[in-house]
Parts: sequence; C-alpha cells; structure tokens
Amino acid sequence: MQELLNHPAVQGGVAPFIAALIAAIVLRRWNLAGLALIAGFIVTAFMVGSIGIEPLTATRKAILLGVLATLLGVALNKSTWRFMRATLACVGGLASIWVIWRILQQHNEFLTALPWAVGTASYVGWLVFWSDRLHSNPVRAGSAGVALGVGTGVAALFGSSVMLGLLGMSLGAASGAVLLLQLLSKQSLSCGRSFTLPLSLLAGLVGCLGVLSASLPWYALMAIAAIPSAAQIPVPQKSSMWLQSLQLSAAALLCAAGAIYLTWRVTGAPPI
Amino acid sequence: MKRSSLFSALLISASLPLSALAAETYKVDPAHTYPHFSISHLGFSTMHGRFDKTSGTITLDRAAKKGTVDITVDTRSLTTGFAKRDKDLRSPDFFNVAEFPTMTYKADSMTFKGDTPATVNGSLTLLGVTKPVKLTIDSFHCGIFPMNKKAKCGANASADIKRSNFGMKTFLPGIGDDVKLAFEIEAYKE
Repeated sequence: MQELLNHPAVQGGVAPFIAALIAAIVLRRWNLAGLALIAGFIVTAFMVGSIGIEPLTATRKAILLGVLATLLGVALNKSTWRFMRATLACVGGLASIWVIWRILQQHNEFLTALPWAVGTASYVGWLVFWSDRLHSNPVRAGSAGVALGVGTGVAALFGSSVMLGLLGMSLGAASGAVLLLQLLSKQSLSCGRSFTLPLSLLAGLVGCLGVLSASLPWYALMAIAAIPSAAQIPVPQKSSMWLQSLQLSAAALLCAAGAIYLTWRVTGAPPI
Repeated sequence: MKRSSLFSALLISASLPLSALAAETYKVDPAHTYPHFSISHLGFSTMHGRFDKTSGTITLDRAAKKGTVDITVDTRSLTTGFAKRDKDLRSPDFFNVAEFPTMTYKADSMTFKGDTPATVNGSLTLLGVTKPVKLTIDSFHCGIFPMNKKAKCGANASADIKRSNFGMKTFLPGIGDDVKLAFEIEAYKE
C-alpha cells in the first residue's frame, strides 16, 4: 500500500483527482465546488511532504498562498467590482515576489535579481488576470485548469524537479475532476474565483519556481501564458458540453504541449 | 574567605592568557577539503557525491582538550560525475541550492583520546533545518606540509544522518533515507 502511495502517478494524478472529485460532489450543493481544486492540490502537497511552516521555503509559501487565495476567492466569488481583475493580478504579482524572496536574496547584485522579480510578478499577474475572465464559465475554467496543470506540471517534471512537477500536475488532475463532474452531471458547477484564483496563482508560482530553482526554460512559460486565452476561443453555444469541453481543452492543451516540447528540447527526459 | 576569593580570581585571570595562547586556529584548505555523501540507490548500489567548495575555521586547544569547528559547504558545488543527476540533486527535490546555497556545520564541543580529537559534537544546518550531528574522527594528523613548510592538520571524519530529518523527502524510501557524510579535511595553522 505504501509503495502505491509513493508512486508519482498516484501522488500527482490519481490522489488529487479522487480528492477533488469527492470535494466537488460534496460541496457543489453549497456552490463551493471550486474548493475541489485546492483539495486535490493539498493532497498532493501532503503526499510529497511539502506541508509545513518551518523552514518556510518558496514551495511552502506557494502552498500557503494557494490556500489564502482560495479563501479570498470564496469571499470574492460574487464581486462585480470593475477593477477586481486588475487588483487581483497586482496582488498576485506582489505575493509572488514574497514567495521567491529567499531566491532573490542569493543574487549579490540588485540589478541581477530585478529581472527575475519583475518576470515572476508579471507572469503570475498575467495568469491571474486572464484566468479571472474564466471564473463565470466553469467549463472554460475547467479546460484551462487541465491544460495549466498538465503544461506546468509536465514541464516542471522535465525541468528536473519531481516535487514541482507533481504539484503542477495535481492542479490538472483536480481541474479534470471538476470538469468531468460537470460533463457527467450535464450541468455547470459554480466554481467561481475560488477555483480560478488559486489555479492561476499556483500554476504561475510552480512555473516560476521551476525556472528559478530547477531547469525549466523561462520561454516555456510563454506557451503556458497563452492557455487562459486559448480557453476563451469561441465555441458553438448550442453544441453539447462534451464537445465544448473537448474543443476548449484541445486548444488549451496545444499551448501546454508547446511548453512541454520547449522544455524537453532543453532538458531531455524527466528524472524518474 | 575574602583572601581565598581574591586568590582564585588572580589564578583564573592569570590562566586565561595561557589557555588563549594554547588554542590554535586553523583555516580550511579548500584544495584538500571535500565533504562527501553516500546514499543507497534503490538498494542496487551506494552512490557517492561530493561538494567541491568548502571554507571555514577550526580551533584546537589540545592542552585543555577543547576545540571548535565552523565549516561552510557550498551546496552549489555538488558533483556526482553525471551532470543530469547533479542538476536533479540541486533542484528543490533535494538540496534546493537556489534557496539554500550553503550547508554549515558548527561545533563547540570535542572529545579527545589522549591529545587527539576523537569526536566532534555539533549541529548541521541543511535546507534551513538545524539538527545535532556527531562527527567521528577516523584519523587525525598534524605536521609541517613539505611543499610550503607551513603547519597543517588533517583529518577524516564521518557521520550518519537521515535526510528526512532535514526535510529532504523526495523519492523516499526508494532512494535511501540514511546518508553517510564523510569529510576529508585539511587546514593550515594561522
């Protein structure tokens, strides 16, 4: 049993998928199905031993922010404030600098650390901004989630970090569970910002940590950055949810595949 | 009573400079100091790695049988002879060198066998976690280095640690939890 639980496919795929599916089924009656994402992610974080406070590593800070973003997302689910999207992007970008602070401190020169800080904040802010546009459309959000998780996770895995890879893939697995539940029940789940905010923030942070502390090439993130936009391509509204989901997932996964290819070109096969 | 206290104080103050003189300070010779680690690879074999950059100072007071150790290892200098594995080991899965570029060993307690250090009781800080680690000194030799005629001491020391105690949990238990740390260390007298 322990051997099974230690298997990367279980830790990054099966376990978060099941956890998210159960959470979505239980919580959908209170319109809180979006919490399924963080449920799946936390299960993986626990299994790979990343849960903890001391020492507060960048990965642990990212997990902490993911939980806080979920709570914030619940509070802001119904908000229609016109500057909400830009505000969340700015806050997410600034929070990402806190996450990578210790890595930035290793740079002796301020000017060498600055591009990494700006790049990280911009990337995370970008993902938060564009993913927030999907919060009111759970099928699009779920499709984007699958691609963000798969793209970030597999690219991070190829980029020499199993832990970051599994954390990234858990986002895809959890999103897949939420998407599947919608398709099977043939009704949209009200995911809202409690789904899109932690999804974009965590996918952004895992990607940036892959670049800063492993060997993920920064330009692979450019392909991942296109995923939220790819999940907004027009699809026939009269077509079935299955077909819509298939088209949206295919478009988003194409971007993810681009990121994985770019990483594979540099790093070769994953370390497992 | 008063006279006795005064006498004790004089004795202590007189002995301080002597013990200070007896303590010798040694600076680590990075060209002959390499911390190694060895770990089980899925039970098939024992893999070895080493760190190429180490610095620090050691003080020895053989008369008082005391000493201190302050060693800093640059974890970015890790090498196992296979570049791809080195990259994996530097990642957040293992040594996380982007966040924790150094590992330190500090000790202010030693035991002696005769006038030779036998064990060092200190603490290892790895990945931001500090745990007590006892180093066993397998060999110790001091003398004049023939090339430059400088006084030097050298030692081989080792310790067993569990990597999970320092938060390094990736691929447990396949890649072993028990890690043998071995230091070959040489230091010039200052």
